[in-house]
Amino acid sequence: MRLLAALFAFFFANAAWADCPLDLGRGTGLVIFSDHYMIAFRPDPLRIEVGEPFALLFNVCTKSGSAGELVAVDAQMPEHKHTMNYHPSIVSKGDGRFRAEGLVFHMAGHWEISIDVRAGEEIERLTHDYYIK
Amino acid sequence: MRTALLAAALLAALAAPAAAQRLLDWSEAEVALVGQHGPWPLPPARDASNRISGTPVGIALGEHLFNDARLSGDGLMSCATCHQAGRDWSDGRARGRARVDLDRRTPSLWNVGYLHWFGWTGAGDSLWAQSIRPILDPLEMAGSRERASRLLREDKDLACGYERAFGTKPDGDDERLLVDAAKALAAFQATLVSPRTRFDDFRDALVAGDREAAARYGLSEQRGLKLFIGEGNCNACHFGPRFTNGEFGDIGIAFFVRPGEVDSGRLGGIATLAASPFNLLGRYNDDPSGISARRTRHVRHLHSNFGEFRVPGLRQVGRSAAYMHNGGFATLEDVVRHYSEVSPDRLHSDGTPLVRPLGLSAQQSTDLVAFLRSLDADPPPRPAPSPLCP
Ligand code: HEC
Ligand code: HEC
Repeated sequence: MRLLAALFAFFFANAAWADCPLDLGRGTGLVIFSDHYMIAFRPDPLRIEVGEPFALLFNVCTKSGSAGELVAVDAQMPEHKHTMNYHPSIVSKGDGRFRAEGLVFHMAGHWEISIDVRAGEEIERLTHDYYIK
Repeated sequence: MRTALLAAALLAALAAPAAAQRLLDWSEAEVALVGQHGPWPLPPARDASNRISGTPVGIALGEHLFNDARLSGDGLMSCATCHQAGRDWSDGRARGRARVDLDRRTPSLWNVGYLHWFGWTGAGDSLWAQSIRPILDPLEMAGSRERASRLLREDKDLACGYERAFGTKPDGDDERLLVDAAKALAAFQATLVSPRTRFDDFRDALVAGDREAAARYGLSEQRGLKLFIGEGNCNACHFGPRFTNGEFGDIGIAFFVRPGEVDSGRLGGIATLAASPFNLLGRYNDDPSGISARRTRHVRHLHSNFGEFRVPGLRQVGRSAAYMHNGGFATLEDVVRHYSEVSPDRLHSDGTPLVRPLGLSAQQSTDLVAFLRSLDADPPPRPAPSPLCP
């Protein structure tokens, strides 16, 4: 939580990011960023259950304040080196907003989601860890 | 007198630790893991892709069809020939038998309504689609669209049952009527929910903090359960109230059917699914929201699908031998020996393997089997199906 607050402080201090809408509805999700990107996302439904399909909602912003493109979303269990048994599909909602549908974490434990984004030519991968009980 | 007193004191001293030992120490983390295997029973299963799912009239029609051999080509075989109520909805054989011996075991139908992939390889994505397969398979019931639809149209009772269940007379085209028959079969099968077990009593007591009630569960069973959720890592796949995550795994069971011929498992299952006119992406899905088809739409082809089979649920497992997709093990002891001794060469994994030879002691093996047997319970007697249209 404190980390999130810190991120928001960082975000508001950097005027260039200010156009990026972070509100995902129903409370804000997580925010991750790199040198070029800032991504807000949350699962839908909010609680991820083992073996149950869920979606991820994204806002993808670039440092210049323009919308970025979500190219691919995937997830794997690093410990067991296996991916999901499902391949998520991505729908663009405009303005850097996306919905990735069809994710299933079929086991409890550590899952790493990878989020591939692009604003120009190059694709950059950001990751986030989920611990599912 | 003094010896009697001494004996009583001794007895008391012996009894106290013994009574306290009736419940092993369960950490908070373990209690949470045990809790995930319940509560039981789950709420009744509903299938949005089947418009008569959960309706009493649909269930009644399905039960009659389940026992009706006229669905088969020679009029001699019904679903109940292989899925027998008195044999926990299986047939007690290592592999199914129709006109010929089949390559896979007949799974029990207990709790089948809660699945999302059907058959050993998930070749079906709905209970109704899976119920079409044996009717049309020339090796099994060898029926047909025409035969099934004629039966619904021409048999007075079934036609009446159909009209009650679907609200129209059975006069659609042959394929639609076959699908409707399968939807009734599915509505019936979804009611086959296994009874509560001794494990469930323990689980509820443990979660509620009722030590006295929890201590009624045997020590060997408790130790076996600890292995199951701990060192054994069994709950990685045998997860949740049904003891399956509903997905697929490779635990090193041989997949040669005959010399030179393999059962490709999930790989073939996905191909069959994609080719089926009855999958949830097709025209017979009654769910306009598309939510029921999410898994089918997103299922992914993976190299690791080869030789994977669906993780079986473990409720009533001790009652429905043999085991595995090919019936390769006759007893639960054999299954536990497999997990204890499986050769790592047979397990394909780049990372930390989910299954590894556990090297169990004789006592541990006994405990694990004792735990698995605590997932069994006698089902209440079934009343004979009531007439469809009295
Ligand atoms: C000849 C024996 C036989 C007959 C008759 C038969 N089945 Fe089966 N059943 C099997 C076998 C074998 C499998 C496993 C198939 C596979 O996965 O390849 C199976 C699988 C199933 C499954 C999947 C269960 C699960 O755990 O996923 C369902 C549901 C089912 N049968 C329903 C039916 C219905 C309904 C009928 C009648 C229309 C029927 N069966 C007739 C042998 C039979
Ligand atoms: C990697 C996932 C995985 C793990 C971990 C796992 N299982 Fe299984 N289990 C399976 C699969 C898949 C099958 C069916 C394999 C087949 O049919 O070829 C199975 C089959 C079984 C069966 C036979 C059920 C039947 O109806 O045929 C039993 C019993 C069982 N497992 C118990 C256990 C126990 C006990 C453990 C822990 C020691 C365990 N499993 C660990 C995936 C797993």
